[in-house]
Amino acid sequence: MTTEELQALNVDKSVDARGTACPGPLLAAKKAIGEIKSGQIMEVLSADEGTKRDIPKWAAKQGHEYLGTVEESGYFKIYMKKS
Amino acid sequence: MAKKLTIGLGSGCIDKLTSVGVILSGAAADDMEVDVFVLLNAAGAFLQNKKVDFSCSGNQTAEEFQKSLDALSSPGWIEFFEMAKEMTSVKVYMCSLAGKVVGGEKKEDFIDLVDDICGIGEYITSIQEADVNLFI
Repeated sequence: MTTEELQALNVDKSVDARGTACPGPLLAAKKAIGEIKSGQIMEVLSADEGTKRDIPKWAAKQGHEYLGTVEESGYFKIYMKKS
Repeated sequence: MAKKLTIGLGSGCIDKLTSVGVILSGAAADDMEVDVFVLLNAAGAFLQNKKVDFSCSGNQTAEEFQKSLDALSSPGWIEFFEMAKEMTSVKVYMCSLAGKVVGGEKKEDFIDLVDDICGIGEYITSIQEADVNLFI
C-alpha cells in the first residue's frame, strides 16, 4: 500500500510503543492484537529501529497481513490487518 | 502445534540473564513453548535472599548495566521472565545439583519464577523434544 493509502486507513487499534526499546514494541503488538477482531486494522508506533523488521516478520509468522510502514519524524507507524 | 524452545542457562551474570529474558519475550510473541533449565552457575541468581555478584558482564558492572537498561525504560531480567510467563508457556526448572551447590534444596528456596526442581534426565528429554536448543 502507498503511504497515502496507509494514512487513510481506519485504524481500529493504535499502540504507542515509542517509549520502549526492543522487545517492548513487539510485546505491545502481541498483547494488543489479542484485543481486536479478525479483519481489523492495528497500527504500532515505534522509535526502535529493530521493530521495523521485527513486526512485519512477526505478523507474517502469525498469519496477519502486514500492510506497510509510514515514516514520521523520529518514529514510524507499522500497519497490519488481523487474520 | 507450538514450536518448542529449550534453553540451558549456565550463567548468573546479568548480561546472560537479561539475554535470556529478551529471548523469552521474542519466543512469547511467537507463541513458542519454552523450557528454561537453570544450571550450575546460574542457580545463585534464582535464590530467595540471594547474595550473588552479578558483575560479570564484561565491560560494565551489574549496576552500570542495570542503569543503562533503566535509561531505556527496559525491564530487568526478572520482569522479562514474568512477562513471558504471562504470555506463553514458560517453565523454569532448577537443576537439583545446581540448587544444592548454592544451598537450595526445595522449590520454596528459590524465587517464584522457578516452577520446579529437576534432574538431568528432564533436561535431556526437553532437548530431545525441542525444535530449537540454546545454551547460554
